[in-house]
Amino acid sequence: MIEFDHVTRTYGPKPAVTDLSLSIPRGELFALLGPNGAGKTTTIKMLVGLLRPSRGAVRISGHDLVKETRAAHLHTGYVPDEPTLYDKLTGREFLWFIADMFGMPRSIAAEKIGREIDHFELTEFADDLAESYSLGMRQRLVFAAALLHDPDVLVLDEPMVGLDPRSVRIVKDLLKSRTREGMTVFMSTHTLAMAEELADRVGIMVRGQLRFLGTIAELRDQVATEHTSLENLYLELTTVQPVVPPGTTPAEATGTP
Amino acid sequence: MNGISTSGRHEESCHLIAIEAESRIFSRLRAAIAWQTLRSMLSEARLRLALIVLLSAVFWALLYSLFFEAFSFLDSIHADVISLLFNAFFSSLMIMLVFSTGILLYGNMYCSPETRLLLTLPIRPEAIFAHKFIDAMWFSSWGFVLLGSPMLVAYGVVRGAPWTFYVLLLPFMVSFALIPASVGAMLCMAVVAWLGRLRMHALAMLLAIAGAGAVWLGWSLLSSAAAGGVTAEWFDTVITRLSIAEQKFLPSWWLASGLIEAARWGAQPEARFASLSEAGKFLAVLVSNGMLLSLLARRLARSSYRTGFSELVSEMPARRQRQIAWFDEALSAAGTASGRPMRLLLVKDLRLFRRDIAQWSQFAIFFGLLGLYFFNLRAFHYNVAYASMISFLNLAVAGLILSTFTTRFVYPMISLEGRRFWILGLLPVHRDQIVWSKFLFSFIGGVLPCCGLLCLSDSMLGISPALLGVHEICGVVLCMGLSGIAVGLGAWMPDLREPSPAKIAAGFGGTLCLVLSSLFIVSVVTVAAVPTYLAMAGEAFGGGGPSSVGIFGWASGPLGTATSLLIVGVLGAIATFVPLQLGLQSFRQLEP
Repeated sequence: MIEFDHVTRTYGPKPAVTDLSLSIPRGELFALLGPNGAGKTTTIKMLVGLLRPSRGAVRISGHDLVKETRAAHLHTGYVPDEPTLYDKLTGREFLWFIADMFGMPRSIAAEKIGREIDHFELTEFADDLAESYSLGMRQRLVFAAALLHDPDVLVLDEPMVGLDPRSVRIVKDLLKSRTREGMTVFMSTHTLAMAEELADRVGIMVRGQLRFLGTIAELRDQVATEHTSLENLYLELTTVQPVVPPGTTPAEATGTP
Repeated sequence: MNGISTSGRHEESCHLIAIEAESRIFSRLRAAIAWQTLRSMLSEARLRLALIVLLSAVFWALLYSLFFEAFSFLDSIHADVISLLFNAFFSSLMIMLVFSTGILLYGNMYCSPETRLLLTLPIRPEAIFAHKFIDAMWFSSWGFVLLGSPMLVAYGVVRGAPWTFYVLLLPFMVSFALIPASVGAMLCMAVVAWLGRLRMHALAMLLAIAGAGAVWLGWSLLSSAAAGGVTAEWFDTVITRLSIAEQKFLPSWWLASGLIEAARWGAQPEARFASLSEAGKFLAVLVSNGMLLSLLARRLARSSYRTGFSELVSEMPARRQRQIAWFDEALSAAGTASGRPMRLLLVKDLRLFRRDIAQWSQFAIFFGLLGLYFFNLRAFHYNVAYASMISFLNLAVAGLILSTFTTRFVYPMISLEGRRFWILGLLPVHRDQIVWSKFLFSFIGGVLPCCGLLCLSDSMLGISPALLGVHEICGVVLCMGLSGIAVGLGAWMPDLREPSPAKIAAGFGGTLCLVLSSLFIVSVVTVAAVPTYLAMAGEAFGGGGPSSVGIFGWASGPLGTATSLLIVGVLGAIATFVPLQLGLQSFRQLEP
């Protein structure tokens, strides 16, 4: 579903992401972790087509993000870290705008808008102008818009920012159920506990390179026995030498062919 | 991985849509936003809206009467000059529209959160461009409509134009505006996509070329005046020099010629039909070229928009060298401890100004050009009376230029604090101090160049020290009043959600600010000029005129000057403190 093929992105002379090769299959929830400036946002921006790789290719459902941008976008839902809405549209009007842009037939669009409004408990304010929404309400509406067209791939950039505990629970349950139904989720987060709870696999990125790729269980296996918490483990990974599984090269560890 | 396949549900529910459908969706979006904005204004700000409409109507009527008089005068002496003036006006406007649309589109296409959303949807880049282009074209052209419509209607009335002229005005103006707007859009996209980091240098170069052209034209006109003064020969020279704008390949010529043809009302039906069909041809040329250029701009958007956006997103911000700004340090440290918060706010605004190339470059270009013009005034060898008149006109020009800056840059300052409001709100600073700091920033920033330029103008014209003093006082009053209007209105009707200062200034509040500023300048200059005018009238009548007796004699003397200055001071106080008071009251209660 998602494929990074030897992707490099530089900002002027400075590499932001270096030779990233990563394949995420259908129905997997992948969490990308890393400290500030590690290259997570650059990776996300390349995945949603806002940024083009300097080298390599990013593909969604087999569509190259540079050559077949629209086709790739048709299969993608995106929840940015800062929700963008039209202040002078109501929540419902915004959902209709998104549905129209995805070419959804009116009857199907009406049904799905109703479904997402129910899922994210937007009924009370769906017909108010977005300018009156709180950050949490805006974030829920953006989630609803991203899931409206039942995307194959959902890209989330710090998705829980601004959400109250009940909304966090709604989102978590939804992500679990949608991934069970075959949706692939690519999530960038700082919240280790959430990655631990939700992710099938995690990637830890430091200075534009993947330092670790595997399941949480595999991650625990890679550290010395004195480390008891994921937090300590994460801090060690992001400050010391790269951790490579025994008997493998870094390229093998990241799944590079 | 069980349950319903997401891919299967996905395929039945959505598909890529045609470009026409994308355009329709964007049209619906714009209509919905416009309707909601109008509804909000009608329900929440009826009085403000009514005031703005009323003042705009007054401004329109004033412009109309001014142009009516000018066209009547020109029509009676030299009808051909009108074609030349139209060409000069529309060609200058064309250059300004290229730059303003390009700059607005840069903000709209590359720096707005909306395009970051749209570029992640399955929409063609050229459709996003077209959507943002309409927005930019509207914002860059509203001034053209506000200035151009009273001028053209006045022209039609003076020439006794048929009704078809008035019907054709809007299509002519829109199709003309489309051409420089498309060129500006293409320049903007090309510069971002292919010049990347050099884009600011490219923009500066283009502006410098345009400025150099204007300076060259101005210099050549002034130098010819220097040779023999303002004579009939000089007027002919001016006509010849201005005819540079009268080029048949320029859209401004098509517009000017089309409008002149449309305004003709021949005695015979054949002649009328011929004029109308000529006007139709010019309109067709404008429309077809406008459409072709907008099509080319769309093509360019298709091939370069995403690449350009990607390059811009991936740019590292320039690392600023850590320098000790001695002036900032000195300003922060000087004065009493109680005044320090306000000085710190001033230093912050000064830093923002220094680091915003759009602000200081426009400030430098406009005041620089004005300085150049003032510096060359000596060349004209005016007599005393005429020089006095010119000096008051220069006072008005300096005020008008300052008012464009206060409207464009000072008025949005409070609104732009919107996103940073929590910082200011938590600081141990009284809200009044924030407003006053903006006022001081604007006043100090305006008064130095304004008074300096007035001093230069009067020196070059050989004005008496007494009148120079009057002008300097008027300059200070103008700076105070214009700053008061801009800061006061900015605090009274802030738009805390809009991140673009250009859009804030182009909105209703900005328009009101410009209208009030213009009225204020006209009032101050008129009141200040009355004693000088009466003295001139007295001299013209050889001492037996109205200025030598009764109220006229008193008004043209020292007492009259003192009275006029007193009235100027009162006008300044009203312009400064009434808007500031409104702004302070509103800002104290503001809940962001």
